This record gives sequence, C-alpha cells and structure tokens, in this order.
Amino acid sequence: MTPKLGAYAGLAAVALFAALATRRPELVVVAAPFALVAALGLLLARRPSIDAEVELGVERTIEGDEVDLRLTLVADVGAERVEALLQLPRQLVVLGGDNPLQLRLADGERRELRYRLQCARWGAFRVGHVYLRTHDWFGFFQRELVVDRRVPLKVYPSEENVRNLLQPLETQVFAGNHVARQKGEGIEFADLRPFVPGDRIRHVNWRASARRGELWINEHHAERNADVVILLDSFAEARRGDRSTLDPALRAAGTLAARYLRQKDRVGFVTFGGILNWLLPTTGAVQLYRIVDAMLDTQIVLSYAWRDVVTVPRRTLPPQALVLALTPLLDDRSESALLDLRGRGFDLVVIEISPLSLLPRPTGDAGDLADRLLRLRREAVRGRFERAGIPVAVWGDETSLAAALEEVSAYRRRARAASV
Amino acid sequence: MAAGLVAYSDVASDRLPAVVGGVGTAGGALMAFALATRWRTVFPFGIALVGASYAVFVAVRNGAVDGRAPAVAAALFAAAELGYWSLERSPSRSEGAVVLRRVAGLVGAAAVTALLGSLVLLLATGASGGVGLEAAGVAAAVISVAVIARLASRASV
Repeated sequence: MTPKLGAYAGLAAVALFAALATRRPELVVVAAPFALVAALGLLLARRPSIDAEVELGVERTIEGDEVDLRLTLVADVGAERVEALLQLPRQLVVLGGDNPLQLRLADGERRELRYRLQCARWGAFRVGHVYLRTHDWFGFFQRELVVDRRVPLKVYPSEENVRNLLQPLETQVFAGNHVARQKGEGIEFADLRPFVPGDRIRHVNWRASARRGELWINEHHAERNADVVILLDSFAEARRGDRSTLDPALRAAGTLAARYLRQKDRVGFVTFGGILNWLLPTTGAVQLYRIVDAMLDTQIVLSYAWRDVVTVPRRTLPPQALVLALTPLLDDRSESALLDLRGRGFDLVVIEISPLSLLPRPTGDAGDLADRLLRLRREAVRGRFERAGIPVAVWGDETSLAAALEEVSAYRRRARAASV
Repeated sequence: MAAGLVAYSDVASDRLPAVVGGVGTAGGALMAFALATRWRTVFPFGIALVGASYAVFVAVRNGAVDGRAPAVAAALFAAAELGYWSLERSPSRSEGAVVLRRVAGLVGAAAVTALLGSLVLLLATGASGGVGLEAAGVAAAVISVAVIARLASRASV
C-alpha cells in the first residue's frame, strides 16, 4: 500500500469535517473525488499473479557478439501498470529493448519483450532474474515480485590474430603437423642414404642414383604431433576498471588452444594460482570446449599459500611438452615456479601480459621513482628467465600476440644457432 | 493548476483575501518544495493547504453557493494526481499505451468529479437541510476517519 491512499482518505476526511463545521456544500464537492477514488481503490484492489519465461537465442557466444533474449510475461491476474526489470550482469549491455519497461498486462495476457544484448566481456553468466513491480489503477497498491528463470550463457573470450604458432622443440609419437627430428614417413627432406632391400621405389632419388651409379634413397622427417600445456598464472592480476591482465591472458589461451588443437596436437590447460585447476592434455574439438569452460571459471583468488609446481599432477605436464606460460609477472611465486619448471627440463616459453598500461600515471618524484623501480624489477625478472634459457615475450597494448610469438620464435632460432 | 485555484480563491474572495491568499500560497510553495525535493510525505500537506485556502474562501463568503466548486474540485484532484505522478521514482520507460490510458483516466476522473460535484451542489441547494442530511454528512466523515484508521493499522502490520 502506498502513502497516497492514506493521503487521499485524510484529505477527504478533513474536507468533509470542514464542510460539516462550516455548513458549506462546496467542501463536500472538493472532498468527493478523493473519497470516491480511495473507496474505489480499496474495493478494486487485488493481488496480481504474473509469471515470466526467459529464452536466450544462443547458449554460447563470443565476446563482443550480440545475443537475442526473449522475456515472456504471463499474467493470470493482470495489473494496470507493470514495471519489468531484467537484471543483467555488468558485462551484458542492452543494445535493443527497454529495460526496465512499464507496460499494462490484462488478465490472461501474454506479452513478449525482446532484448538485444551485447556481450562486452567473457564469462559464464546466468541470465533471467526478473523483477516485477505492479501498480493498481489509482496507484494505491504496489506489489513487487521476483521471478527467477535464469538460463546459462557462456561468453567465450574472442580470438587473437596469430599467424604462426611456436614450434615445440620435441614432438610426440603420434602423427601430426610438426616436422620431427626423427626420420620417417613425411614430406620434408632429411637425408640421402644407399638403397637397401625393402626400400620403396618411390623414395629413390634418381638424380643422385644416376650420378653415383647406384641406387640412393631420399629420407624424410616424420610428421608428428606435440604436447602443449598452456599454463595460466592466476596468482595475481592488474586491474583498472573493466580492464585486467586476465582478459588478454584468457584470450591468448583460448586462441593458442584452438590453433594447436586444429593441428592435431594434444593441449592441456593449467590454472596455476590461488586455486589450482588443470586439464590433462588431449586432442579434439571436445578438449577445446573443456579448456574454454575451464577458462570461464578462472578467477584471481587471493592466497598466501606458496604453491610449487609439484602440486600440479605429473600427467598434466608430460615430458617433452611445450609449456606456454601466460603471466603478468606480478607474483614471486609464479616466477619461482616457472624457473623450477625450466630446471626440470621443460620446453618453457613465457608470454608476459604487460600490466604497465593498467597502472596509474605516476605523479610526483615518489611516483616516478616507484614507476622506475617497478620497471627495473620487471627487467630483472626477465633477465633471470633469459639466463635460465627461457624466452620471454612481452605482450602489451603496443604489440600483438602474433608479434610476441614471433619474438619468441626468433629467440629460439638464435638460441639454437648459438648452441650448435 | 494549484496556483490557478489559489488565484481564483484570492481574487473571488470578498472577505479576508490576505488570509485566503496566504494559506494558498503556503500550500502551493509546499507542493513545489515537495516536488522539487521529491518528498512524498510533504506533498499532501501542500494539497491540503491549497484546499484550505478555498475552504477559507467559501467559509467567509457571503451569500449563495459557489457555482465553480465542481471545477475547483476537479482542478485540485487533477493537481494531486499529476503531483503524485511526477513523484513516482521509476527509471522505467512507459509504453505509449500505458501513458495514454493514464492520461485518459485522469481526464475522465476530473470530468466525473466535475459532473458529480455539480450534482451534489444541485442536491445541496435544492434540499432544505434537516437532521437526515446532517446525519449523512457526519456518517461520511466518520467513515473516512474509520478508513484512515484501518489503513494506518494495516500499514503498521
């Protein structure tokens, strides 16, 4: 019940008493509408019964895409005015449709409200918490209902443009797209050797054979798959408003997982931080969905526990796997864990998600000094990694992921040339 | 609308125009203050004071019944309804049909008020008075108070 009903009844009563006291019929006329409306409001008051249904156009979508949502209001007992508010997470922006909206629902009426939502950020959401506020004809009675018809919506991080992937140093035994060091069935030429019984005629190098007077055979490099483990550092993140170092890290993880899985590699995913989460390396499109779903659950949880890589299950990090670590290098624990991984002989690559663009602009001498110290400290960490033979590529606002991966590839080529 | 009502009471008043004008101006100012500050509790007091200025006008008036009372009642009611409408704190966009029905309802209610008021005035001027009419008036006032008491008890629950 709203205060308006009491006010109208009060005004009517005061006017009627004044009419009696002064014996003037004009005041009865003034009191009449307030009294009549209050009486009618009380007589016609009833409890509305409204239900809601929520339907999403898709259950899964990509960050930045648009999704259609249909909210159906079904009124057994309607109301003169119904305010419908669909509660949405901040990451979903209404592009089309009014939210909240005031409408009329007659008894037995069914109304469909359509919304177009833009998924501004990745995440796993449940959409469909509907708040309804009903008003009667006279605005005397107001009722609020909450209808929970939530449906899941998964918004996957958008993909980055990557031209070339990092080639693992070691390959596995199954067929794939990487040129292995071992010789076997493949396309890439490896060597020449004299013919031995059992060799296939199609492998004979006729030009070399003609020159040397005996049969020589072409040898090829085998084409194998690789194990790739994407290790996401979730110890700490830098955040400013809606931007965070976790967002590009997840975009990169999703992109790399999809690309490696497309070329038949086995891909695993490890979230290493306050909460340890892992997926064993395997191949196929299902694994991509598993990885992306695991990524949606990723969050930065503040923890003081000193986790070591021994806490990661052994099978999660298979030997000879290429480990791609995505880290903002903000936590000492992740730094020491990565050095430990390298010490165990893993083929490790660090892609540093630079948090510098998220930091506030330094002010004053103390601010400048702090900024310089931070940059120097990060340089020192990078130096420690490079001394341990770990390539580090910085991925920030000014560079693309493709450029960062190219940088790592170049480092690895130089390093190999130096070691030979 | 309320200002027009106060102006009418003041201009038409042949006795104590300063009191009529003063009470009406205070009422109008209170309504404006309530609307500006969105203070719902204060708003009906403003309406009451505007109504009171008219009550003073008719109470001190010499002679016959004010024939414009139905129009005054309709204007006061419409002012109250519009005031409460603007005091509604809702971020919702209203559908056109909802607004249209509301405006039509308001206009209709004001018209019915004027018609009923004319009827009441006609009856009141035609009737010779007496104990029966007096008793009906008292009963109406008591019922109003009973409604208020009932509403107050509901609200406290």
